[in-house]
Amino acid sequence: MLANLPYYVAAWLFLCGLYGIVRSRHLVHTVISLTVLQSSTYVLLLAIGFRKGGYAPIFADIAPGVITVDPVVQALMLTDVVVEVTVVALLLAMVVKAFEKGGTTRPDDLRFMRG
Amino acid sequence: MTEKRRLLLFFAGAIGVASVYCAGIRNMPPFGHYRGPYGDVIARLAVYERHTTDTVNAITYDYRGFDTLGEEFILFSAVTGVMLLLRPETQERRRRETEGENPESFRDRAALSETVQVFTTGMFGFAVLFGIYIGTHGQLTPGGGFQGGVIIAAAPMLLYVAENTDAFRRILSHPLMEFFEALGAAGYAVVGLVALAFSAPFLTNVLPLGKTGDVFSSGTIAVISACVGVEVGAGFMLVTYEYLREILSREKNTED
Amino acid sequence: MLSPALLVAIPLIAAALLGGLRKLLPRLLTDVLALLTALFNLVLASLWTLHALHRTQVYWFGGWYPRGHMALGIGFVMDVAGCGLATLTAFLATLALLFSFRYTDSGGDHYHPLMLVFLAAMSGFALTGDLFNLFVFFELMSTAAFALCGLKTQEPSPLAGAFNFAVTNTVAAFMMLTGIALLYSTTGALNLAQLGLLLAGRHDRLVLAAFAFLMTGFLVKAATVPFHFWLPDAHAVAPTSVCVLFSGVMVPMGLFGAMRVYATIFQGCFAGTHVSWIFIAFGSLSALWGGIMCFAEHHLKRLLAFSTVSHTGLMLLAFGLWTKTAMAGLLLYLVGHALVKAGLFFCAGILLHRFRSVSEPWLFGKGRALRRTRILWILGGFGLAAAPGFALAIGESYISAGAGWTEWIFLAVGALTGGAVLRAGLRIFFGLGDAGPTDESAKVDEAPETLKESHQINWFLWTPALACIAGSIALTFWPEYTNAVHSAAIRFMDFGSYAHAVYQQFTPASMVRAAAIPGKDWLLAGVHAFLALGLALWAVYRRRIPRALRWPSHIEGPLRPFRALQSGYPGDYVAWLTVGSAALGAAAFWLGH
Repeated sequence: MLANLPYYVAAWLFLCGLYGIVRSRHLVHTVISLTVLQSSTYVLLLAIGFRKGGYAPIFADIAPGVITVDPVVQALMLTDVVVEVTVVALLLAMVVKAFEKGGTTRPDDLRFMRG
Repeated sequence: MTEKRRLLLFFAGAIGVASVYCAGIRNMPPFGHYRGPYGDVIARLAVYERHTTDTVNAITYDYRGFDTLGEEFILFSAVTGVMLLLRPETQERRRRETEGENPESFRDRAALSETVQVFTTGMFGFAVLFGIYIGTHGQLTPGGGFQGGVIIAAAPMLLYVAENTDAFRRILSHPLMEFFEALGAAGYAVVGLVALAFSAPFLTNVLPLGKTGDVFSSGTIAVISACVGVEVGAGFMLVTYEYLREILSREKNTED
Repeated sequence: MLSPALLVAIPLIAAALLGGLRKLLPRLLTDVLALLTALFNLVLASLWTLHALHRTQVYWFGGWYPRGHMALGIGFVMDVAGCGLATLTAFLATLALLFSFRYTDSGGDHYHPLMLVFLAAMSGFALTGDLFNLFVFFELMSTAAFALCGLKTQEPSPLAGAFNFAVTNTVAAFMMLTGIALLYSTTGALNLAQLGLLLAGRHDRLVLAAFAFLMTGFLVKAATVPFHFWLPDAHAVAPTSVCVLFSGVMVPMGLFGAMRVYATIFQGCFAGTHVSWIFIAFGSLSALWGGIMCFAEHHLKRLLAFSTVSHTGLMLLAFGLWTKTAMAGLLLYLVGHALVKAGLFFCAGILLHRFRSVSEPWLFGKGRALRRTRILWILGGFGLAAAPGFALAIGESYISAGAGWTEWIFLAVGALTGGAVLRAGLRIFFGLGDAGPTDESAKVDEAPETLKESHQINWFLWTPALACIAGSIALTFWPEYTNAVHSAAIRFMDFGSYAHAVYQQFTPASMVRAAAIPGKDWLLAGVHAFLALGLALWAVYRRRIPRALRWPSHIEGPLRPFRALQSGYPGDYVAWLTVGSAALGAAAFWLGH
């Protein structure tokens, strides 16, 4: 089991993120918990691509054909990181607006959408 | 729902999700033994096919370039969303003017040392240069448009740290910023369209590939990387400006 | 034939153009450019749909054709189902942009770029043949949707709705990415066809876990119970033209994503098992829960939102049945529902524009002067109830052809949702009966979205509603369309031809001669309509019924705690998401092992 530790770390981060959102008492905290959830997927992806003894897939100073780690997951993750920052910015803008309009950042006080 | 009930519900669900996740992990290939052929095939081919040494960027901007187009527009939409949400309303502005400013809250801290100011302002130029370097060398070394754009966007923050808020505000609120963001975003799609003009599928790498290891190599990868860099940089600067707009306008009023 | 990449590229370029030049372009020009782009998409998508009827073609981006069995790049698989959905998206987007012509508050001209990005994202989502590309378009669709919900947040209440929507759907996206990562670890592939070939026959724990995570992600977008809580909140926040796209295409897209992934990747894995029963269970639950909640609502847009939950649940149920006729019925139902729902939302938008409110009790009797809207609304109500003459009725007859027990669920859903809409229509447009409850739930209302109140309903406000309702009726009487959808469904479920298309560039299609609809189903559809109208009249004249006969109103008390679950608190929604995901995973492991 210890051999697959990074995957279990990813699972743990995932659950922590979910717990943070459920338990949150401050809207900014909710958004940051989403970031934690995000990190869990990155850990999972990068851990999947890792190869023991593999070099970085940059062939500037190594010859093509040398064993490298997986470049595909890195490519998947790379754009995701930058993009998700802006999505978090969007969510935080909602929080800023909520504070401006409602004077509060407690999710409890935003229950305007009661069924 | 009370907090206790919510937590109980969550824990019931979390146990389930955790078991599913861990059951899945147990059947995964062990850590450190990447099996799949996709990454290996591209790692072996990218240098020859695209004359690029950075395989990750070859995947990002060429093999899976269409994905990155979508991601770039996620950034575009999010920035537009932030501008939409934090847009100034006429009533808001009037309220702020009538209530008057409180200059004390921004000036009751100790003056910043001149060494810090000079050094940080000097670093601005270096940061911009570094960002441009990272952005244009994506096809050779780790880097590329996304990373370069973020560094360039972070450069004005140095001015803010150096308390040169006037320059900071003037850079961020420049009217051409939105135009550059749109240019970067559209540029990527237009490069894809250029391929259509050559009767090749969308986003095919139709520019001359050059010599591996040169800055001007790997065809459209460099061009797309530059477009993305412009878009990311402008996008982040717009977001920063929207967030700090109110504070900046107060600083401006106290200075006048 | 123009490249299908243009279906995504042109709206994106137009969005960037409108966004960059927004301070320079006058409103009229922005509106016209956006409309022209949507029309371009509509024409191109329709051409591709007609092309796809003859052969399923695959378009590889960047010229990266597959090498052997390995797909190096990203491909668009232009089959009838995908192209048809892209056409539907473009059609509704055109009408939505027409509806918001000139008067809708564009939030400083950020509305048009976001709508075009939304259009591009949904078109790409329907067509793509790559799993990670599906995820990217899912995210793009979601981000544009979150941003569009920011239009009316100058009032305090809508922010909760937008925030809940954003948090819930982002959690769903990350669940999807986790599933993708799990599949990638064992196969090293991201192409749907390749994954299907590599995973054929495997139903070990990894595949089941990936299945659970992927399906959770898609079903959150498809607003299946218990993942549905974000939908009514989002609908109450978004402007009308955006709601049209949400209920008409975005939510069904979530379901389509689940269907696409199941039909390509998991079909071979779960061939001998009963995993599709999971969809039947979740679908029935959504259908009934959505229907009950719909009837209990008095805010017009939230009412329609719950009916979307219900109808999408029916579609999920049909998908779980996994037969060719059920799939054909599903696709027919999807299109029919999209048109009727869009028409109803446009009518609600007219009410909002004219009276600055969408609260049923407040609008009591006020709609008497709006004759066109009245007719369209009542027709829409009958349409939701799957009355004879509407596309939903045909869909239902196909779905229940193989499984008669589903008829009862259809009957209940049609009565509840159609009845709710008819009840609102009788109250607002005819002033019949009483004004409805005056409790706290009736006080929930919505901010107006147009720049000024107008007593004139311009042509571009009621034409979209007319086009939608007329379309949903016209499609019933067009046998070539029904045949085409039937063959599209058969093709959709056939993984062999899909894989062949992906690796050999195209497969010729075959048209299917579908059997004519048996006569008894018109009678059944008539029963639906009658029941819906009856329920509406009962609700409206409830006070006048003797107390002894009024027994169904005793459910209002017990119903209150269930309605309170729609609390507006993101922690609640994510807790339910976790529970639902766990239930889905447990069911998958139990049924699929």
